[in-house]
Formats: sequence, structure tokens, C-alpha cells
Amino acid sequence: MNILEIEGLRKKFGAHQVLDGLNIVVPEHSVFGFLGKNGAGKTTTMKIVLGLLKADAGEVRVLGEKVEYGQTSTNRFVGYLPDVPEFYSYMTPKEYLRLCGRITGMTDKQIMRKSEELLELTGLKGVKKRIGGFSRGMKQRLGIAQALFNEPKLLICDEPTSALDPVGRREVLDIMEQVREKTTVIFSTHVLSDVERICDRVAVLNDGKTVMEGTLGEIKERHRKNSLLIEFTRKESMDRFMEEPLFRQLLKQSKREGSQIIIHTKDIEQAEAEIIRGLNETRLMPSRLEILEPSLEGLFMEAIQ
Amino acid sequence: MRAYAAFTAKEFTEYTRTYKLLVIGLVFLLFGISSPLAAKFMPEIISQFMPAGIEITITEPAALDSWMQFLKNISQIGAFVLVILLSGIMAGEYSRGTLIHILTKGLSRKTVILSKFTAAALLWTGAYLLCFGVAYGYTWYFWRKTVNTPGLAEAITALWVFGILLTAITVLGGVLVRSSYGTLLFTGALVVIQILLNMLPDVQDYNPIQLANGGTPLMQGQLESGSLIKPMIVAAAGIAICIIAACAAFNKKKL
Repeated sequence: MNILEIEGLRKKFGAHQVLDGLNIVVPEHSVFGFLGKNGAGKTTTMKIVLGLLKADAGEVRVLGEKVEYGQTSTNRFVGYLPDVPEFYSYMTPKEYLRLCGRITGMTDKQIMRKSEELLELTGLKGVKKRIGGFSRGMKQRLGIAQALFNEPKLLICDEPTSALDPVGRREVLDIMEQVREKTTVIFSTHVLSDVERICDRVAVLNDGKTVMEGTLGEIKERHRKNSLLIEFTRKESMDRFMEEPLFRQLLKQSKREGSQIIIHTKDIEQAEAEIIRGLNETRLMPSRLEILEPSLEGLFMEAIQ
Repeated sequence: MRAYAAFTAKEFTEYTRTYKLLVIGLVFLLFGISSPLAAKFMPEIISQFMPAGIEITITEPAALDSWMQFLKNISQIGAFVLVILLSGIMAGEYSRGTLIHILTKGLSRKTVILSKFTAAALLWTGAYLLCFGVAYGYTWYFWRKTVNTPGLAEAITALWVFGILLTAITVLGGVLVRSSYGTLLFTGALVVIQILLNMLPDVQDYNPIQLANGGTPLMQGQLESGSLIKPMIVAAAGIAICIIAACAAFNKKKL
């Protein structure tokens, strides 16, 4: 079952085509990373999914139900955390959650139980001061609490970690890890290490389209290049390695960067065997010999070129 | 219905904790006290400041003077304070983005508007009742039997309806203009239009501005009793139009 389907989504702000036929499918029970540089249209997409913005063309379905602009009933499945969540600063977190609960029609008993649970989860239990005196990290955590309040099937987080210090970021990611069993999480970000830590699927947005989509493993497999990295501590060893006739064939497709060299080849095992044999014969000892894994950063940079 | 009650209650929490309730309560309490006092002691004060040798005859103050003071204060400064306090009713929510959580939780946009209007109307009604109650007490204390001046009920009701109309206009302005200065300007402009229209004799009988201006002439007997009913009906229609328009416009607003 797909929790979210986006088909041919288009949106223009003035002369700027922000979304140009965007297609995304998010299956249930995944943590979906939504990547793209600043201004790529991540927030716009999320706001359209929430019915806060009107799309020029295309269709969005949440659990098979079509999203309407303005008043959308699909929001009953969705929890939303904006990039900078804003609350009524004169309320305490408990009062704010009570307001959220009453709006969604929960009974006072349910509200009590859920508030306890979520304040505990987000580490805000026992905080009695008004939201006006909160730090950004605390606001972000309260934002998660309110987004999870009506037990959404889909949690949409817009750059939840980008304004936080390392501690706050860790706390937010931990919370998202904890809720993944109960709900599908979509979160947009440009912090790639966060993606590698908790996402199982990603989509990269560029020029209003998805340029890369799939599970992290799939994407890395698809973009795997057979490359070997060899590094020497001393420059003379490197020069000797380069001039050695044994390696001439392999070095035809290679790139040298300082004391490192990256060799591209069709058959990686064959090449590795040849190099090790050669190194042994010539008594050249590298400090590093490694088969290169594609990094998410490299893939991302490649995708948005 | 529960959501409506919850959001209306939230508005009252806001009034209390941002001191709006306190400000409007104090201002209206002051008017409630000062209107009868000013009516009672104005002749004495004036005669104190008169240069020696000049004689002016001032009629003995009556309950009517107290009520005239009351109507003048509330219809001018009182209404102004109300509109200023309410001018941020939507602007605050728009600029801080606080409605996003609320709306994405499934609260209908219509409910937001209706709640805000209800809370604002109750704020005005409460302040008005407080002011009237205090003024009534003092007026009764000074003049006893004449406190129920002919036309008082109609004049008081008319001014209350005018306040509700101002509230509705301010809510509509808030939805349309997004900033609190813009909202003030919107409400001000609609009041000025009513004042200008009042120059046309044909319009006068129906003009809601009469609700603010007509109380005094009514109690002095220059206007017939019942002549504020037509403007009240027009104002009621105006209130309904403002609120319906505010709901419709808010449905189209992007947040």
C-alpha cells in the first residue's frame, strides 16, 4: 500500500517553475528522505500535500484519497512539522497539546494519556514554562509532539534538523527513529548524514523533478563504479608506482590526486589481484588500498549537476 | 462544535495573557465611572474656572447628561480602543504561521473565523456590560428616579450593535489585509464611508453609523423612538455579510 502518491505535480511562482511534473511514490512504513538543494521545491511539495498551497496541475493522493486545496479531509491521516514550528507563545506545552487534542475531537481522557506519552517521548515532561521561553530545539521537539498527537499514518517533517545544534539534531533523529514503527515518515533535508542515518528510501529533487529515487542500497548499487583507491605516504613511492611498467596497463584509466590515485576498471577483482601481485614484486607498500563505495554526497552532487 | 469551543477558549486565553482583556476592561471601567461623574460635576468645574464677574447660567445636570457622556465616550474612544485591540486578530496568526498546525490538524477554516468573531464579540459585550453597569450604578446614585431616561434602552442597544458591526468588519479586514495596520485602515475606511454617506438625507435613516451617533438625539427627543431600528437591521445584515465574506476569503488564502 502506498501512503502517498504524487503524479505530474506542477507549480509556478511568477515566472519560476518550481515543480515541473514531479512524481513520487512513498510506500507504507518507510522513512523517506526528500533531498534537494535550497529552493528546489521541497517545502512547496509538502505544502501542496497538506492542502496549504494550490497546485497548477497534477494529483496528490494520501492513502488513495485525493488531496483538495483549502479544506482537505486527508489531513486527518497526516501530521506536519514545519521547518520553523510556531506556537502560541503564551501557552504551556501541555495547554497547547490540549488545544490540539480538542480540535481533533479527542476526549479529555485520551488527551491526558497522549500528552503524557508524547511529552515523555520528546523530553518535555515537567516543563512548566510558556512556549515563549523555549529554545529552538525545544520548539522542534514540541513540534514533533503536536504532529504525532492524532496518531497520523504519515508524518511530514520539513527540514526538522537544519536549525539545530548537534545535540538537538541527535534528539530529533532519535525521536524519528522511534516512531517509524507506527507511522511513515517523510522528511526533507539537505543534511546527507541524517539521511544515511535513518532513511530507507530517498528521492532527490532538482529543477522540479525527481532525478533519483529508490532505496539507499538500490541507488548506491546502481551508481557503483568499479574504482580502486591507492594511497602512499611518500611522494617518491607514488612516483615509482606511476613509472612501474607492471602497472602501465591499469594506469591508463586513472586519476592522480596528490599522494592518492584512483583506478577505474571493468573487473575489479582481477585488477586488485594484479596490483597486489605487482606491489609485492616491487616492494612498494601503500598506506591504503580500498575499493571505493559511492558516497551519498557524491551521488547527490552528481544528480543535481 | 467541540473544536469551535476549544478554539474560542484559546482566543480568551490569548486575550487574558496578552493583557487585552485587562486593557479593555480598565478603559471601559474608567468610562463607566467617569461619564456620570463628569456630568455631575462639570458645571461646578466650569464655574470654578470662570473669571470673576462673568455669569453664565448652566442648567442643573440630569441623568440625561450622564448618558450623553457615556454614549459619546464609548462611541468614540471606546470603539477606537476596541478596534485597535482587535486589529491584530488575524495579523498575528498570519505573520507567525501559528495557524498552520491548527489547520493541518483538521480544524476547518470556517471555524477559525467563527471562533475569532465569537470571542471578539464576547469581549466587546463583556466590556460594554461592565461599563454600562458601573455607569448605571453611579447615575442611579446621583439622580435616582430619572436614571431610566426615555430612549435609554434603544440607544444602548444600538451602540452595542454598532460595536458588533465594528468587530465583524475588523475580522473581515484582518482576513483580507494580513497586517494590523492594514486592518485598522480597512475598518477606519468603512467607518469614514458611513460618515460620508450620512450626508445624504435618504441614506441617513438606514445608515449604521446612526447607531453610534443617534443615541443622544434620540434621548433628547429630536429623533422619534424606534428610528434606530432600521439601521440596526442594516447593521445585522452587514455583520452577516462580513462574516460570510471573511470565511469565503479565508478559504482562498494561502498560509
